[in-house]
Amino acid sequence: MTEHTAAQPSGVILATFPEHNGRPGVVYRNAGDSFLLVEFGDMVFDLTMSFRVLGLDDAIKRHRPEGLIEVIPALRSVLINYDSRVLPAKRLIEFVQAQYEELPPFHDLVVPSRIVELPIAFDDKWTREAIARYVQYQRADAPNIINGTNSEYAAMYNGLRDKEEFFEYIMATDWWNAALGFFPGLPFAYPLDPRRAVVIPKYNPTRHWTPAGTIGIAGPCLAIYPVESAGGYQIFAHTVPIYDPQQRNPAFRESPVLLRPGDRLRFRPRVTDEELEAMIQAVYDGTYQYVIDETATFDVGEYLRFLDSVREEAEAFRRHQAEAATRVPIP
Amino acid sequence: MLEVRNGGFETTVQDYPGRIGMLSLGFAPAGPMDDYAFRFANVLVGNPPGAAGLEITAGGLVVAFHDERAFAVCGADMAARLNGQPVELWRSYRARPGDVLEFDYLQGAGFRTYLAVSGGIDVPPVLGSRATYLPGSVGGLDGRKLQAGDRLPLGEPRVDLGQVIDRRVRADLIPDYAGYNEVWEVEATRGPQADPDYMTREDMDAFFSHHWKLDAASNRTGYRLDIYKWQWARTSGGAGGGHPSNIIDNGYPVGAVNVCGDQPIILCIDGPTLGGFICNAVVAKAAMWKLGQMVPGWSYIHFKEVSLEEAIDLLAGQDTAISEENLERS
Repeated sequence: MTEHTAAQPSGVILATFPEHNGRPGVVYRNAGDSFLLVEFGDMVFDLTMSFRVLGLDDAIKRHRPEGLIEVIPALRSVLINYDSRVLPAKRLIEFVQAQYEELPPFHDLVVPSRIVELPIAFDDKWTREAIARYVQYQRADAPNIINGTNSEYAAMYNGLRDKEEFFEYIMATDWWNAALGFFPGLPFAYPLDPRRAVVIPKYNPTRHWTPAGTIGIAGPCLAIYPVESAGGYQIFAHTVPIYDPQQRNPAFRESPVLLRPGDRLRFRPRVTDEELEAMIQAVYDGTYQYVIDETATFDVGEYLRFLDSVREEAEAFRRHQAEAATRVPIP
Repeated sequence: MLEVRNGGFETTVQDYPGRIGMLSLGFAPAGPMDDYAFRFANVLVGNPPGAAGLEITAGGLVVAFHDERAFAVCGADMAARLNGQPVELWRSYRARPGDVLEFDYLQGAGFRTYLAVSGGIDVPPVLGSRATYLPGSVGGLDGRKLQAGDRLPLGEPRVDLGQVIDRRVRADLIPDYAGYNEVWEVEATRGPQADPDYMTREDMDAFFSHHWKLDAASNRTGYRLDIYKWQWARTSGGAGGGHPSNIIDNGYPVGAVNVCGDQPIILCIDGPTLGGFICNAVVAKAAMWKLGQMVPGWSYIHFKEVSLEEAIDLLAGQDTAISEENLERS
């Protein structure tokens, strides 16, 4: 273990470990008497950090010391909930750092990652209803709303031909669920194919109402709203329930939450409103069968080779996108 | 069985420590907002301190007993009466079949009161807890607040009724609640995104000296405080977003002070579990109960900085205080 610096006078940073042999540095931040925040690398958007985080999450769970209650992974950090009277912070930091340093080399990481297929209806009646209410009660002149949808705006902002091309992009990539949170079961998912990595600014002001099952994007992140709620993401599609507190379908037997961190989401098939409505009904009847590959794993080395192979195309899309965005107003 | 004749403003079944270990799935722990009063109410009637009881917010609850039980009411004064006779707070009583326990609305300081019944409320645990988590519609009775006509099953008492009635909490352990327009002192440590990386030293000095007004739009998910003009250590949130309060999303500690734009919001026990705003402080776990007794729209908060070690000591002291040994015969 490398040596760590003394705590700052304010006691915010409890320990730091510098970058070493390509392994990103770690900062341990005080988060009160029951939590510890562990951050990796710099504050930049790097999806590959999530693989390290989930690899560490898995290692911590396998070697769980007494007093450790839970690990809450996010894109570039884990928050640890622990009983500080049983497990002092200093010992917890030593434990986590040892697990981190024992992770296999990044290229050799293979993490458990289910593939979850979800049907999708684009610019469906539920989404249109939420947008119509926003126009009526909140903001009539929002530039992100064109013909009662956010999808046309999303296409323009990313320099895509039309909303149909935007929908193709959504379906053409798998989405990496880096974390669950905010509401029960809400995924924070990022596109694994950088050639299809759309970005969209948020609503302004945020929407008062979004129906459960709505799919939205803000920045590079895709979310599915598990419960009826307020929201700030641009919305353009609907899917089957991902949260059922009444656990009416076998997919919810173990937990009312369908998704897990490290899942890959794949949107297929594309369905009509009527077909989706029948599927939602079948979820609650218990007859709908969610399509989930439970045993799939994710090979980080293979993915990094894929990233290398599409680097130029991805760069070209990013430039095209950035150029298009300059011609589109921000909400 | 306990029969609900009037659910009041907002009454829920809660247990302590709630649904822990599920933050990574997006579930806040729920549980009582004032766990100090809640646990003492349970101890008074001979229950384990975390047994399921009722959280009565603002008042209005009316319940009828269908069997003989010990009960205790701890927390804010809502002029509770058993068959019309005044019920003292922080004291255990006997209820007989047919007895009616009524709560009025707030009489003065405090905002929530807790009813513990010997044997506890025996609704089925959901995901390991009986606590009602309203945003996720789980736990308690069908994941919702109580209403007239609800019937709450009760568990088997652990001890004989005679042993646990007519007991009271030692007077020096009964907290004084700050009144309307008064200031609550709340112990807190600096949070993961305080100074010097996210806020300036001056920002943090202001945070720990200001008297923050608790906004009327506050509930079990979050306690909104007044907008403040922070200096900020950064000019933008970088990859997290345009505003210097933005970060790349991370997990939120329960009890964190989450600064969204310029508004600090204390994330309470039903609050969001993950998000992209900084947390500049975290309320000491041993001080979380105070939030439960503040009155939205009226109370003020002064955050008193404590170290991690001090926060842990406070917690140990609190757990020791809530015990049978600190009860007296009436």
